[in-house]
Amino acid sequence: MTSLILRTATLYMQPILLMFSVFLLLRGHNEPGGGFTGGLVGAAAFSLYAFAYGVLESRRKLRADPHTLIGCGLLVAVGSATIAPLMGRPFMTGAWWEMHLPGFGAVHLGTPMFFDIGVYLVVIGVTLLIIYSMAEEE
Amino acid sequence: MKALLVMPIVIPLVGGALGLVAWRSRAAQRALAACGAAALLLAAAALLWTVDRHGVLAVQVGDWPAPFGITLVADLFAAIMVFIAAVLGACVLFYSFWAMDSGRESYGYYPLTLVLLMGVNGAFLTGDVFNLYVWFEVMLMASFVLLALGGDRPQLEGAIKYVTLNLVSSALFLAATGILYGVAGTLNMADLAGKLGENVAPRLTTTLAMLYLAAFGIKAGLFPLFFWLPASYHTPPPAVSAIFAGLLTKVGVYAIIRVFTLMFTLETALTHGVILVLAAFTMVTGVLGAAAQNDFRRILAFHIVSQIGYIIMGLGLYSRIALAGAIFFIVHNIIAKSNLFLVSGVVHRLRGTGDLKQLGGLYEQQPALSICFMVSAMALAGIPPLSGFFGKLVLVIAGIQAGAYVIVAVSLLVSILTLFSMTKIWAGGFWKPAPEERDVPPPGDATHAIRRMMIPVALLAGLNVLFGVGFEPCYAMALRAADQLLDKQAYIAAVLGT
Amino acid sequence: MNILSVTVNLVIMMLGAALVISCIRLFRGPTLPDRVVALDLVATLVVGLIAAYAIATNQSVFLIDAIVLTVIAFLGTVAFAYYIGKGGLP
Repeated sequence: MTSLILRTATLYMQPILLMFSVFLLLRGHNEPGGGFTGGLVGAAAFSLYAFAYGVLESRRKLRADPHTLIGCGLLVAVGSATIAPLMGRPFMTGAWWEMHLPGFGAVHLGTPMFFDIGVYLVVIGVTLLIIYSMAEEE
Repeated sequence: MKALLVMPIVIPLVGGALGLVAWRSRAAQRALAACGAAALLLAAAALLWTVDRHGVLAVQVGDWPAPFGITLVADLFAAIMVFIAAVLGACVLFYSFWAMDSGRESYGYYPLTLVLLMGVNGAFLTGDVFNLYVWFEVMLMASFVLLALGGDRPQLEGAIKYVTLNLVSSALFLAATGILYGVAGTLNMADLAGKLGENVAPRLTTTLAMLYLAAFGIKAGLFPLFFWLPASYHTPPPAVSAIFAGLLTKVGVYAIIRVFTLMFTLETALTHGVILVLAAFTMVTGVLGAAAQNDFRRILAFHIVSQIGYIIMGLGLYSRIALAGAIFFIVHNIIAKSNLFLVSGVVHRLRGTGDLKQLGGLYEQQPALSICFMVSAMALAGIPPLSGFFGKLVLVIAGIQAGAYVIVAVSLLVSILTLFSMTKIWAGGFWKPAPEERDVPPPGDATHAIRRMMIPVALLAGLNVLFGVGFEPCYAMALRAADQLLDKQAYIAAVLGT
Repeated sequence: MNILSVTVNLVIMMLGAALVISCIRLFRGPTLPDRVVALDLVATLVVGLIAAYAIATNQSVFLIDAIVLTVIAFLGTVAFAYYIGKGGLP
């Protein structure tokens, strides 16, 4: 579709949507949100781009193949779950660290967050895989 | 040691994920599949050894205490199943390196097979009814794609029947699980074993047992609900049929045995009596259906149904010997059945058809292949000294001890009919002279590929002989597994830690 | 009963009535573009309802839902427009 309005709007909306998706992802630990919704919004950003500029351009923006995203997401999730056995706890037990970032103060980092990041990547990958293959069918 | 319990699930998951990352490279996917299968085999062997030495092994995933969290538990039965699944997975993956067409390979055949193995192992190892459902779904999703992948019209038709019936089964399973949670207030199997044993709501519990029997019965291919199986299992490529025939129905059988030895043991006279009747009908209909067929793989698909009947018969008799016989029979049947499907794949590669009328002369052309087929087919029919004979012998002895003469007579009759079917394939495909016009040599480099495809076939046939000749130690292990199934307290104690 | 809760209740009722009316258009709408516009309107009204509900219950969490719904509705409308523009059935 070659609508100037949509294309211009997409240029501004895509970064905002991506930021929003990351916001949802990080917020999901204690409040509604999380990897799944964040991933859906992130996939929405790229499918909007696909509508405005075509699937090829959108794939170029994404850089990674959706399959790779799914694989990486699964690996991140499994990796976060295998940290606990290395520390002598049962599989998938949450492990937490406290970090001091300049400007942020104390930040809690935990394996559940990495698991959520894995979910995020898998959801983006699966959704885009479906949308791209349906859009390319024509 | 407890990390060992997670390995059969994590290894195929990592293998599948890496396969997705290396989506473009078929060589990398093959290498990953080989490494994953080998690692899985090692982990499964280690798990089997550990469980056999140290008894039931349980781990609470995420460190949440037992009735609330996710429980993984391996008793000897589960460990045996995981091990044999790993053996079969390794053989089929190795076979696929030469048998699978490049189209299916580049559309994710290897990662999908690994994910399927993950689902199967998860279903074997879970200690929670709802997680059992989740693993079933993991397994079914992978199998839907494998079944439909690269399909032409008949394959898609088979896939649709398969998907529809399995969705019905999943819906039943989920509904039953919801009611079960309402009745008992827990879904942890060990906890349920205690709570349902207290006779809370006996009528409702028996009804639930029948719901579960129907749900798992569809997946296992039990008598009234088996018709999807012969309609779909002969359509995908032989390697896929082999893994489906070997593992997927057996997961349903495993779930039936698990549920009806651990949870629903209040009214065994009723529930296990029903199971026994179903077993008889399953055996007879399967073997009669096979007798009417004239295609290599269709005959085999009907025989899956008939063999399921034997395993369920062991559960229906519900004694120590009968359960040991059922466990031994599952292992034997996974090997023999998958091997026959793998042989059918080699035959298809050689002749381009599975129709017995157009086959023939294979014994002259491929004596080694013919002997492998003969071994597995005779094992399936129950000829001594192969594995099937001892499996059936134990079941028959258990039946006579229980005084269930009808089912014993049925099982012996079905054995003879099985032998008839197998000789039909042997005579039609291997023994009789080849029809003149079909006698074409395999194209190009096929002989090399076929030589490689023969390795797993020969290995599995060898296992059939091994389990027959070395029956004594295998049966001793099956007896130990049956003891664990009958002694619920060890299982409950391992999970709940009391 | 203060003026805020009265207003919020009024808003919810009016938005509900608008929702019913636009649903009628969604079902009756003779052509596909009519239905698409009606669907977009429904989504917008639901976003308004969520916002009003967030005020009524004093829970800002619902506002995130409203944003997500806006994104999805916008994308849906664009997808329909794309489909109609490609010459899909009216």
